[in-house]
Amino acid sequence: VIQLLLLIVGGYALLFASQKLLRRSERRLGPGPDESGSPVAPGQTGGVEISSFLDRMAAELRLPAADVAEVRAEIADHLRDSIASLEAGGFETEEAIREALGRLGPPAELGRQLRAAHQSTRRLLAGAGGGVIAAGGGFVLGDLLGVVLATTGFIALSGVVALLGAVGVHLPTIVENDGGNTMGSLIDAITLVAATTVATSYAVRTSAGLSRHTPGAVAVFWAGAGALVFGWLAIFGVRGPQSWPSVAVELGMPVVAVAAAFVPIERPMLHVGRWALSVPAVIIVVLVGVLVLGAVAVNVSSSTTSASAPAPSLSVCPQSDQSASCIQTYFQLDTVAPMAPARWLTDGSFSPAPYFSGSGSSIDDHASAGPSSVPAARALSRWTDVRFEAWHALPTDEPGPGGIDTRYSAPFMVQPAVMTGSDVRAVFHFERFRDAGSWWVVLTALGPDGHRYRLDDGSSGSGYFNGSAWDWLTAPQ
Amino acid sequence: MGGRIRTQLLKGTTTLLVLTVLRDGELYGYEIAQRISERSSGAFAPSEGSLYPALHALEADGALQASWRDSDRGPRRRYYKITKTGLGMLEEHAQEWAAFSLGMARAVGGANL
Repeated sequence: VIQLLLLIVGGYALLFASQKLLRRSERRLGPGPDESGSPVAPGQTGGVEISSFLDRMAAELRLPAADVAEVRAEIADHLRDSIASLEAGGFETEEAIREALGRLGPPAELGRQLRAAHQSTRRLLAGAGGGVIAAGGGFVLGDLLGVVLATTGFIALSGVVALLGAVGVHLPTIVENDGGNTMGSLIDAITLVAATTVATSYAVRTSAGLSRHTPGAVAVFWAGAGALVFGWLAIFGVRGPQSWPSVAVELGMPVVAVAAAFVPIERPMLHVGRWALSVPAVIIVVLVGVLVLGAVAVNVSSSTTSASAPAPSLSVCPQSDQSASCIQTYFQLDTVAPMAPARWLTDGSFSPAPYFSGSGSSIDDHASAGPSSVPAARALSRWTDVRFEAWHALPTDEPGPGGIDTRYSAPFMVQPAVMTGSDVRAVFHFERFRDAGSWWVVLTALGPDGHRYRLDDGSSGSGYFNGSAWDWLTAPQ
Repeated sequence: MGGRIRTQLLKGTTTLLVLTVLRDGELYGYEIAQRISERSSGAFAPSEGSLYPALHALEADGALQASWRDSDRGPRRRYYKITKTGLGMLEEHAQEWAAFSLGMARAVGGANL
């Protein structure tokens, strides 16, 4: 709860700070003041020399547009005063113009000195720091925007699919029986791309205004930084449910960062007003508070339930008939191997005791060597090649009782059993398989007759990919 | 040398001169140059080419605050105003200058002092 609240408060603070910095910075990026007219009347002698002087000086400035306009206007003002004063002192206009320009020195040198005065180390550091803060706030804003866009798109798409279905046009589905992985991960990926876009644009605008460097020069820096940071995030940093569409969209993040860095600053940028910042913040805090309290309550309730509940997959057989034959009938367990004869097992059988670890769909499958806690190595002294086998199972959300998917004749994953005391166990990471889906894990071994037998009825569940884009790309098929 | 101090001697004093004239009130660029020249009876006339970079550098350091305003006569001008930071900087520069000029006076004209 504390982490979540810190995240919300931190995100809001970043968003608020980024809006302040962005607005302050954008004032430097605008057109700036007018030159208040030329220092000499139109068509008057000397006008060309003055314009040429100002142009050559401005060419060396390499500052944001507002700064260039300010400097030009200020120097033009100075020339106007200087020429008037010289004329009052008896100079002819042409002479006065030449003298006034001469007193300012070479225009290129003046431009370079003014640039150095504007682009101080202090401002450079402010630009870099401000850019990072603005990027953080932009990421938060883009994230919120992305959630709204992606969810709206998903709802609209679902509506279109439903309408087409109503008129008899059935599109191939990509979301069935994947535990929501495809659509959920795609919404997350679109959200991240939106966040990347806003973050990079904010960083460029803020850095340019605060450091007094031209947006073009700053864009080169942020394009490189954005490609690196968001490239790393896209490939290794973002972890969660994945699918082919989401991996493809995520890998577009560094590309989007580079493109967003070079968006012309004249284009309108997304801003958030004070009220628009404050009202949703209050709503979000209240909603999250309610959700957190609800989640805590559900978590407490579910952990109490799961500790005492029997294995759900076996509950199809009535309590009065938990026999091997009933289980076999419903779950097709003989597809794996026939049950080991009881005479070859100490105390009759093994007790499966599966439990899930905390990382999504990984399972630490675990069996005990009978109720008398006989050491597993002794109990299985007549058995060889003791292993846990993971078989594809029928999805639990399909009609029917579920069970081993008989279209497969071999397990999709095998782990050797490790015996410790009375325990026999192996750890499976189904979240690292792209298409693990529903699975059934069974303990098997080669019996004294050389044939493979089932030592227990195993445990079932479903698991979907959970990791980074890199994990997805390098995952076993 | 004439009535003006050598340009080389003026290097490094522009900041002190600018901050000194701005202590009395807001001025725009051309006025600052004029005021320095008037107050020194023409002895100090900072190069106009170095005046504006100095003003902009002082603004970047937070010693001055600039704003565009309508002038009493003529068009809008960029006025400079000394800040609290600028006043501190002025005091520091003035002390340095006093120590420097006293040392120079002793070293160069010691027998006449």
